[in-house]
Amino acid sequence: MDGGTIGLIGIAVLLFLLLVRVPVAFAMFLIGFLGIWQLNGFDAAKSLLASETFTLASSPELIVVPLFILMGNVASVTGMSRKLYDAAYAMIGQIRGGLASATVLACGGFAALSGSSVASALTMGKVSLVQMDRFNYDPRLATGVVAAGGTLGILIPPSTGFVIYAILTEQSIGRLFLAGVLPGFLLLTMFVLTITILCWLKPEYGPPGPKTTFLEKGRSLIGAMPILIVILVTIGGIYGGLFSPVEAAGVGAGLVIVYGALTRTLSFKDLWFSARDSVVTTATVMLILIGAHMINPFLALSHIPDVVGNALTSLELGVFGTLFVILGIYMVLGCFLEGFAMLVLTLPIFFPVTQQLGIDPIWFGVLVVLTLEMGLISPPVGINVFIVKSVAPNVELGQIFRGVVPFWLAMLVTLGILIAFPQLSLLLPDTMFN
Amino acid sequence: MILKLRNSADRLISLSATIGSIGLIVEVGIILVDVIGRAFGSPLYGSQDLVTMTMVLLVFGGMALCDRRGGHIAVDIFERKFPDWLNKMIDIFSALLGAFIFIMIAWTVYESSQLSVMLNLSTNLLRLPKSIFQWALCGLALLTAFAMLLRAAELTFSNRDIRQEGEL
Repeated sequence: MDGGTIGLIGIAVLLFLLLVRVPVAFAMFLIGFLGIWQLNGFDAAKSLLASETFTLASSPELIVVPLFILMGNVASVTGMSRKLYDAAYAMIGQIRGGLASATVLACGGFAALSGSSVASALTMGKVSLVQMDRFNYDPRLATGVVAAGGTLGILIPPSTGFVIYAILTEQSIGRLFLAGVLPGFLLLTMFVLTITILCWLKPEYGPPGPKTTFLEKGRSLIGAMPILIVILVTIGGIYGGLFSPVEAAGVGAGLVIVYGALTRTLSFKDLWFSARDSVVTTATVMLILIGAHMINPFLALSHIPDVVGNALTSLELGVFGTLFVILGIYMVLGCFLEGFAMLVLTLPIFFPVTQQLGIDPIWFGVLVVLTLEMGLISPPVGINVFIVKSVAPNVELGQIFRGVVPFWLAMLVTLGILIAFPQLSLLLPDTMFN
Repeated sequence: MILKLRNSADRLISLSATIGSIGLIVEVGIILVDVIGRAFGSPLYGSQDLVTMTMVLLVFGGMALCDRRGGHIAVDIFERKFPDWLNKMIDIFSALLGAFIFIMIAWTVYESSQLSVMLNLSTNLLRLPKSIFQWALCGLALLTAFAMLLRAAELTFSNRDIRQEGEL
């Protein structure tokens, strides 16, 4: 049997295992190990398993993952997210749809503290849904905005999605973080614009909240200052050349812990549980990454990426046509696969194709991460929708999915803009790193 | 018998997660000391070695608890459409497969550690022996495998799914 046939059988079995709910990491391990065994022998598979496991578990670049997760968890426990929301609420809560826009702004702010979309949706959902319910916001708008706003977590740096992309494609984490800034702001603006249009068309969707005095505005802004300082120090530190991304993650986590201790909003028990949760999330991510590093060499040995590349090239679609096909596949897969798993499963196949076509890897990274975000709110497995459902049990799942539709469309428009204007993604990294 | 094993397993899983959590907090501490020290002209010597080796404990320390909490990502779109017996079979198969994978990890990393001992491999600055961390990884991987085997046994013999029983 030739390598290509073994590769295709491997992919078919992998898909079968995934569909019958075998954990993604386990399925990738199994297929990767057996595939390399078939193609290169048992010893090759065994040594790859030993070396990849230890190398990844002690990878200096991947240390940012647990540290940024810890930073987000502690920031959530210490009430920093609530203060962010309060500040945004005081600024724009009194205008029509203002509470929903405040939620998006707070999500954007929290995204700069946490690399996880799920953490953003959960945290901001707990804080903002009660307020929107109190002011009779339409539940579709209220839940839709939290689910969509939460997705900003993997576009606005620090982003776990970018870290994983960087590791899998050997790109600079710093460049990718910087590339996500403008698209993140663009998406945030698109979300606010969507809310404004929705509330202009149907004013009953988002009635204005209470007016706040100048003093209240000032007070809530001062309350949000520590968060802004943490963001400035961590993200600013990376680009100011003060820290590496790993050090920035460590300093950021340290700062939120110190903040929590000084303001007595973080008990030892809270810190302990935050650390434990972070360790568990890290284990989930790392096991998938190790699995991906088992299956990638198998795919390469069986020449599957070459076959896919040749097939796409033979279609003669050009750069944009191929890009549309790849992103289209991501959108479809995003409806069924968890975003992170989709990334590790597909990048080894599609990334070499994009490189053959001369597509900038940083730009492609931004487009892929944005497409993953769309998957987070796409039925039937839009994870953020389920997260919102867990904090809004009275709202039907169908209503939440209907609520995210306008935001999904806003993401699609943003994706179109980012494809049409690659400079939006590349301007900052090219300016600062060149 | 299974109940006794479960109690022991839960204690070990908790210990393993504790090792991981301490590792994470230690990492934050090392990085902070290093960055602050560097600002004053004396960075922490060998901080990179400490951070990378602690990462091994952090990553594998959380594996058993991750499984205990049902934290592994799976595509569950057909779960509700499958009959209960099939879902149960899949859960048992997944647990056994997971146990097999972690035993393989432990075995291959242990073999690799023997090479590390023979070649006296260590970290760049502090000369920490690589083999110690490889053994730690083996131990934590074996614990995860044991927890998964126990979960498979519970599902088979008592229909108990520990992942549904809340936090440890």
